[in-house]
Amino acid sequence: MSRRGPQGRQFFPMALVISAVVGAAVFGYAPRADAHPHVWATVRSEIVFSPDHAITGIRHAWTFDEFYTAMAVQGLDADGDGVYSKEELDPLAKVNIDSLEEFDYFTFVRLAGDDSFLPLEPPVDYSVEYDGTVLTLHFTLPLKTPLDPRRKDVSIDVYDPSFFVAFGFAEKVPVKVAGTPPEGCAAAVDKPDPESAEAAKALTEAFFSQLGPNSSYGSQFAQTMHVKCSTQ
Amino acid sequence: MLLLAASASAQTKPPSAFGPPSQQQTAPPSFAGPKTMPPKTVQPTAAPLRAKGPFGSVLSWVAQTQQKMQRQLAGAVKSLKGGNALGAALFLAGLSFAYGVVHAVGPGHGKAIISSYVVANEETVRRGILISFLAAGLQALTAVALVGLLLVALNATGFQVNAWTNQLETVSYAMIALVGLYLLVTELVRLWRRWRGPQDAAHKHAHHYHDHDERDHHHHAAHHHDDGEACNHMVDARDIAGPLSWRKVAAVVVSVGIRPCSGAILVLVFALTQGLFWAGVAATFAMAFGTAITVAVLATLALGSRELMLRLGGGNQRWAEAVWTTCAIGGALVVLMAGLLLFAASLGPARPF
Repeated sequence: MSRRGPQGRQFFPMALVISAVVGAAVFGYAPRADAHPHVWATVRSEIVFSPDHAITGIRHAWTFDEFYTAMAVQGLDADGDGVYSKEELDPLAKVNIDSLEEFDYFTFVRLAGDDSFLPLEPPVDYSVEYDGTVLTLHFTLPLKTPLDPRRKDVSIDVYDPSFFVAFGFAEKVPVKVAGTPPEGCAAAVDKPDPESAEAAKALTEAFFSQLGPNSSYGSQFAQTMHVKCSTQ
Repeated sequence: MLLLAASASAQTKPPSAFGPPSQQQTAPPSFAGPKTMPPKTVQPTAAPLRAKGPFGSVLSWVAQTQQKMQRQLAGAVKSLKGGNALGAALFLAGLSFAYGVVHAVGPGHGKAIISSYVVANEETVRRGILISFLAAGLQALTAVALVGLLLVALNATGFQVNAWTNQLETVSYAMIALVGLYLLVTELVRLWRRWRGPQDAAHKHAHHYHDHDERDHHHHAAHHHDDGEACNHMVDARDIAGPLSWRKVAAVVVSVGIRPCSGAILVLVFALTQGLFWAGVAATFAMAFGTAITVAVLATLALGSRELMLRLGGGNQRWAEAVWTTCAIGGALVVLMAGLLLFAASLGPARPF
């Protein structure tokens, strides 16, 4: 008994310190609820140009996987005629579009070399399309201020920072231009280059932000498209 | 037999609540509208998902494998409607099992919670495995009950299923945080009592000791400690983690298991829209079995590393005490913080998809 006393006395603060350190270390592994995708979306985008050659917005077509589609359309055939009419599907489009705002539309527009994202306006012209197997969400995302790509290249990332939704470009024609782009300007998708400095930076950021609920694990899966203009 | 019977019923007319698949899945000509006729609607194929950064290739592989498995799962459910229903059913079960194993490697499914709990507590490997299986089984049951009740019985929408899932998630995370808090408080109280030990009345301690001697015979036989001062001391450190209690086990199992596995919900709803709800149920339990194995393996690994740490100290009592206390407080902290973080995250805005 007498031997235990002093030992325990020293031991209490020591144990607290050790525990705090180990706890913090283990905590780096704390579960992130959404770090594996539950929804898969195939991305096709159009960069929309105004008649005076400025980028006014992005028109997305996101096609979802069959599982998500089944969940989303479940119970929407209100009249039970086996046909998902526009009236029956419109509420789904509205709910999707309305709740996208909190997630920045999963669309991040930047000027080349710039870290801040350009502000977007709420989507217009939205609808969902159901072909009996998969669902596609169409919407146009206007830029708050139209952008002239001739001065600086523009990059557009599509991703879910929490990686609950895995966005991936379509195999064919993932991006195209609409309207009247300036001459010499083209849109193309970016192939991830593991060696690039930007990729390394993204990973470091992703690593540190993994610790919080606002995980940006998904940024490593960013689908990037560029609008580039050749200098004449 | 059961599969045959069920597949036979699926091939004839499924009960009305399940909905005839041919009617639910009809392409909507009116919506495809004048632009394109349904068969012409283009379904874009996705390019393989790639990740950036040094670990990009590994992450890409993981993501692509998951996507491939999910597509195969969808294909397997659909092929049940084809000729060889038994073969397809077995394939679906195997695939779901594999999907469960792989799916659970990613965060979620209570791996961290269960591992931390068994490490923080004086749980044996057998108990760790049992807890993993109970939690996975309950997750599957919750998923089946939720989808069965809302979609089959109440004819609700997918939105409502999502809303319910989110509610249950929030409840689950709150309960996990409470379990962590309980573990932490118990541990700190015990440490405090030990620290205050010398000032306490002697007879109280004697009683305490008696307790330990008893427990030693019950639970620590495997460690081959002789009775006596030294062993008592070590056992005392072990006891810090708290007595074995089914109530605690139940709290962990329920807090993790009340959250339905989202993968299971997707398969269930998809199977339902194909008019094959029973196949979704079977797949869900096969999946839960796979999930349970992954979680059990991780919990066992966690317990193994604790044992390893204990052995590293040789027979040193101080070391053993430090390891036990570290495990107890660290594990409790992980459970508490993970619960709090997930709880906070689950209160966020509703997801669009």
